[in-house]
Parts: sequence; C-alpha cells; structure tokens
Amino acid sequence: MSQPANYVVAYEATERGREAIALGGALARLTGAELRICLILPQSTTVPARVPGYTADFDTLLEEQGAEWLDKAEALVPAGITASTHLLWAESTSEGLISAATEFESDRIVVGAARSGLLQRFSVGSVANGLLHASPVPVALAPRGYRAPERITRITCAIGTRPGWEALLDSMVAISEDLEVDLRFITLVEVDSPSTGTTDSDNHLLTVLDYFNARGSAKGSHSTEVATGRSIEEAVEELDWRADEIVFVGSSRLASPSRIFIGATANRMLRALPVPLIVVPNQPARA
Amino acid sequence: MTEKPTGRPVPLASSSPGTDENSGLSPKGLSAGSVGLLGATVIGISCIAPAYTLTASLGPTAAAVGTQMPGIFLVGFLPMLLVALGYRELNNAMPDSGTSFTWATRAFGPWLGWLGGWGLIVATVVVLSNLAGVAVDFLYLALAQVFGDPSLADLAANIPINIGTCLVFMVAACYISYRGMETTKAVQYILVAFQLIVLVWFSVAAIGQVAAGTAFDALAFDPNWFNPFAVESFSAFAAGVSLSIFIFWGWDVTLTMNEETKDPETTPGRAATLTVGIIFALYILVAVACLMFAGIGSGEFGLGNADIQGNVFAALAGPVMGPFAILMSLAVLSSSAASLQSTFVGPARTMLAMGHYRAFPDRFASISPRFKSPSFATIIAAVVAWGFYAVMRVLSNDVLTDTILTLGMMICFYYGVTALACVWYFRKEAFTSVRSFFFRFLAPLVGGVILAVIFTTTMIDSIDPEYGSGSNIGGVGLVFILGLVLLLTGVVLMFVMRAVNPSFFRGDTLKKGIATHDKGASAVRHHDR
Repeated sequence: MSQPANYVVAYEATERGREAIALGGALARLTGAELRICLILPQSTTVPARVPGYTADFDTLLEEQGAEWLDKAEALVPAGITASTHLLWAESTSEGLISAATEFESDRIVVGAARSGLLQRFSVGSVANGLLHASPVPVALAPRGYRAPERITRITCAIGTRPGWEALLDSMVAISEDLEVDLRFITLVEVDSPSTGTTDSDNHLLTVLDYFNARGSAKGSHSTEVATGRSIEEAVEELDWRADEIVFVGSSRLASPSRIFIGATANRMLRALPVPLIVVPNQPARA
Repeated sequence: MTEKPTGRPVPLASSSPGTDENSGLSPKGLSAGSVGLLGATVIGISCIAPAYTLTASLGPTAAAVGTQMPGIFLVGFLPMLLVALGYRELNNAMPDSGTSFTWATRAFGPWLGWLGGWGLIVATVVVLSNLAGVAVDFLYLALAQVFGDPSLADLAANIPINIGTCLVFMVAACYISYRGMETTKAVQYILVAFQLIVLVWFSVAAIGQVAAGTAFDALAFDPNWFNPFAVESFSAFAAGVSLSIFIFWGWDVTLTMNEETKDPETTPGRAATLTVGIIFALYILVAVACLMFAGIGSGEFGLGNADIQGNVFAALAGPVMGPFAILMSLAVLSSSAASLQSTFVGPARTMLAMGHYRAFPDRFASISPRFKSPSFATIIAAVVAWGFYAVMRVLSNDVLTDTILTLGMMICFYYGVTALACVWYFRKEAFTSVRSFFFRFLAPLVGGVILAVIFTTTMIDSIDPEYGSGSNIGGVGLVFILGLVLLLTGVVLMFVMRAVNPSFFRGDTLKKGIATHDKGASAVRHHDR
C-alpha cells in the first residue's frame, strides 16, 4: 500500500462518539492505520415554517460548536495514533459518513452503538443502522460502554455454512497479516433448528481452517468453536469473550456485492455480543 | 467540503476528481440547487398552511371588516410584500445572519435588536399555542365524525381534557423538532395538494348550496366586497390588515430562498409570485364562498357568531360538505400539526442565537450533541407555548380568536422592527441607485411605517373590553393586556439580562454596523467566549 490505511470514525460529542474513538484507536494500533475523525452536521433542508428555520445564524453557530467538539475529540485519541478531524455537512449522518469514507478512500467506518437500548449491549441507532445496510466498506461497531484495551489479542470470525464465507475469510487474512494475534473461528447454531447438526458445523469449520491456513500469516493460535443455544443470543452467551477481542462477520446474501447489509443472524448476535463487531461486504470494494 | 485539519500531519486521501459532485458532502447550510419552481412553491404554500390559517382567521376578519374581507385580504398583502423585499436585501447583505434578532441588532444595536428577537419569539410562541389549539379542536371533531358520535366533539370544550390534549400535541411536536427530524418532500407535496383540493371542494360546495337555495344565510355576491376602503372605520381596517399579515405570514420565506434553488436568479421570485397567486385565488374563493353561504350574521353558522369565530371550518364544514366534512377535519388537522412541528424550529434557533451572543442566558445556546438541534431552547419554546395556551384557555372566552388577534399585533411589531432595520442599515446606500432606493429604502420604509401604524392602532383599540372575544380583565380588553404584558415582559427581561450579563448590551458579542457602498456588510462579529 502506498499510503497507510485510514478509518473513518463517526464522532459525536456523546459517550457513543467516545466509544467510536476508543475502538478506532484500538483498531488503528492493531493495523497501523490512521483515523479520520468525522463529525457530520445536518445540512438543512428547507423547512416550511413561517419563520425561516434554515437561518444562516444557526449554521454558523452549529459550525463553531462542531469545531469545539472536534477539538475535544482530538484529545481523546490514544497517544501514538495519527488522526485528523473533519467537520462535514450532509443530509443524513450515515450518508455523510459513507461519502467521507469514499472521499478518503477509507478502509473502514467505526461507529458507536446507540445509547437508547436499556438491556441490550448493542441497540443499533439510526446512524449505525443506516451504515449497516449501505456502507461500501466494513463497519466496526463499538458496544455500549466500550473502553479500548491495551492491545487487541484475539480476532473471532463468526462464520456460516452458506456460500460466500470465503470473502469473509479473505478479509480475515488481510487484517491479520503478520500480526501477533489469536484467531478463533466460530459457528453459532440454534439447537431447535432442524436443518443443521453440530457435526456439519464442526466439519465446516475444519474446511474454514484449512482455507485460512493456506493463505493466512497471523502469528498466533488458531482455534475453532461451535456454540449452541436455543437462540443465537444464547449461543453467543455460551462462548467466552475477552475484553480485548473483536468479531468479524460477513454480510447477508441479500447485500449487493460491494456494500454491506447486515444479515438476520448477525443482527441477533449484536444484541448479546459484549465486544466490537465488524461487518464486512461480501466482496471487498478494493483488493 | 469544510475540513478542519489538526496540527498533526495528515496525508490527505488523493480523492479522484469528480467525487465532490455526488459525494453528498457540501458546504454548510442548505443543500444547494435542489429546489425547483414547483418545489419552492410547495414550500411557500406549506409555510402559509392555508387550511389552518383560514380556519383561524376568517372569523376574526369577518368580525372586524364584515363583507369587505376579500378586499382586506388583497390590501393586507401589500405591507407583507414591502417588508419581504427588505428582508431579501438584508438576507443578501448579511449572509451569515438570518433572523430579526441579528439583523435588527446589527442595524440598531443591542436594545432594539433584543426587542426584535423578543417579538419574533413571542409571535411564534403564540402561534404555536394557537396551532395546537386548532389541532385539538379538529382532533375531537374528526373522532366524532369517524365514530358518528357528536358527543366526542364536545370533549374539546372540556377545559382539562383540552389542555391535556394540547400538551400531548406540544410534546410530540417538540420531540420531533428536538430530534431534528424534518417533514420529507413527499409528505409536504401531499399535505399541500390535500389542503388545496379540500379548500376548493369546500368553496364549490358552499357556492353550490347557495345556488340550490340550501345555504344557511345566503348573501348575494357583490363586487363591492373587493373594495377595502368600504370598511366602516380605520380601526376595523387596521384590525383587518393586522389579521391579513397573519394569513400571509411565511410567504417571505419563498423570496429569501436562494442557494437551495436550482436557479437562484429567477426561481425565488417566480416561486414567490406563483405562491401568492395561488394563495390569493384560494383565499378569495374561500372568503367569498363563506360570505355567500353563511353571511356575517351572528346566527348558528354566521361568520359573526362569536362561538364559531376562532375556528370557522369546524362549524361550517359539516353543513357545507355533508358527509365529506371529515376531509376538512383531516386537512386542517394535518396542516396545523405539520405547521406546529416546523414552527418550533424558528423560535428555538432564534433563542439559540440570542443565547450564543449573550442576549439570553448561556443555557439557551446549548446544542444537542446527538441531534445537533437547539436542545434547551426547543424545550423552553414548548413549555412556554403550552403554558401560555393553558392560561389563555382559562382566562379567555375564545382562546383562538384572542390569540390570533394578539398574534397579528406581534407579527406587525417584529416585521416592523425588521423593515425599519433594513432602512437604517442601508441608509448610506439608499440613494446610490434606483434599485437601492426602491428595495432598500422605499419599500421597507413604507412597509415598516404601515406596520407601525397598524400596530399602534390595534394596540389602542384593543383596550376596549369588547375587542376580540369580549374577554376582559377589570374592563380592559384581554388582547390589549396580553400584548402589553408580552412586550413589557420583554422589556423587563431585557433589563434583567443587562444587569446579569451586560456583554451583549455593550456590543461585545454582536457589533452594530452599517452597509457601506463599497463592501456589502461591514459589520464585524466577535466571539470571545
């Protein structure tokens, strides 16, 4: 690569924005990428109101406030990580982030989870949701209350038996290239589901491992696990999770090739997952 | 794209040429070049919300000027036009300002600027309560029509239920506004089309009933209705014009839309013309139809009946449209609910600006980090509007009529201040060109003076306890007391603010300036926070 990879961090001056920076920092440290911390401000559309709502005063004040917020964001970036801040205007936040990722030729968009869910760790907000159904680059989601670890020590790859898993494996190969990190390949099985037995899953994971070993260059242990539960959520709970790991998952088969579209299983995983999740497109946008 | 690189070296991504066009990232402010003539006209009509405006103003206007209503509607547009021309000049000269508060402060300095902003806030807060009040009435009317149970409509007359329902509307609209959500274009188009169809339907049905001899109190059409000078007294004329300002309120928005239109040179002007053409045709059709059908007597459905004045369509839609009256209920309900939500934005942003420049306490300047909307100011607008409504509901015989009359005065006040601010700001440029003379001097001056005269006249007339709904406190008209209390509260708060934090009043935060011939806006702003 001629220039270091860069990640767009979806920032807002809330806990969610700080979690995004924390995850962005952890990922950047793992891969040597740079951060583009982006604050998206809403571009007014003409509001049909008796008193013009699109007053220029407001845009100016909002811009000043945005710059102030970004100054604070900069202070949150972990030492040793290169980051730049960007104030951008767009009609919707997810649209603005996707444009920024296109503009910066970014490799990933990092976003915090919404705060609204009381019980679940991830309750995906509208911004993350918009990204999870349209982003051309992988989207990394920080769970609620995420604090960056010293170092990411394990990458888990949640993999299904349906066709298309090779693309996910390829992105695992790419990210773990020459890294000192453990890899774990998991399959989640709903035991009530009549179609899949766990033996099939075990065999499939061996195929996966062979595929990876033929290509990968990570310098850590490799393991496989099949988790069962009456629901996907239960299966997730059954596994052990380290505070310093991240999970990769592929897109739904419904996704158009170069965009991500979170599948039903991944969506349910999100509800129980205590660690960051990265959703990748079925076909990488760039080699 | 606005970028703020930090001190650290950033190898910027070498973006391929042409990405800017479709990138969706653009400079701050409005999405440029997205609105065409039709879109701008729809926005203009949405701003005015004709179904709501007519139901709220027909009664009070008929009470003031009788059959001369169509003529008053025509003449009432004149001051609005003159002031809007001044607005456009201010908007072009000070592109980073956009409300009466900033404009008036820059022209006249902090004191009048503060009052200009206050006038705008008060007017919008009053209209919020009126909008919510109309929505409440039509909600119960619509329920009664849907379930065929007239007793449901009477629930609106129950004060606690009415105030409670109003609170629900306020909270919902405030929440939507706080979240920074906006009505989509498609919804705007549908709402506008629906209002226009229903209002024309209503008028045709009313005139049809007159022709068939089934009208309530048929009045033969008379071309003299269009003569505004046949109004019996200047007081009545002033009251009528004050109400007409209200019915065209929002039209100026089309004229000041610039960058977001596909062709900023011609689109705003054409859209403003088309909007006012449609609105004129509609208002006159509805006014004439109502006069012909119901007359101005004080009978059950007469426009002179104090009981129906504040909300004419609620009373007339049934007898005029029969089973289709539900459509009118839905048209007014949707128009007032949509307007309620969008109207929050104006006062909230003005309060935010006032907070930022230290004209209001700092808290007003807070912006929600999540939704990027004025958080505290939006909530305050809702609380005050609802509180105002609740008090008025208890005090007034006819809350809607009295709030509309008060509103007319408040709009005259802040539009007047803004128009005169325009004259003063451009005073050195006034005689440099013919164009300048007309648009920056003569038009706003005449407009401002008309509004000042109307404001003063209605203020004095409203002392009469019989003014408006006839509500009074100690023999003094409620509308006068309201107007006075609202403005005096402003003056008191202004002095309190001056005592607590004088920086705005010393001109530290927002400087007074004047347009000079060689450079557009010479005013300088400082933000030493």
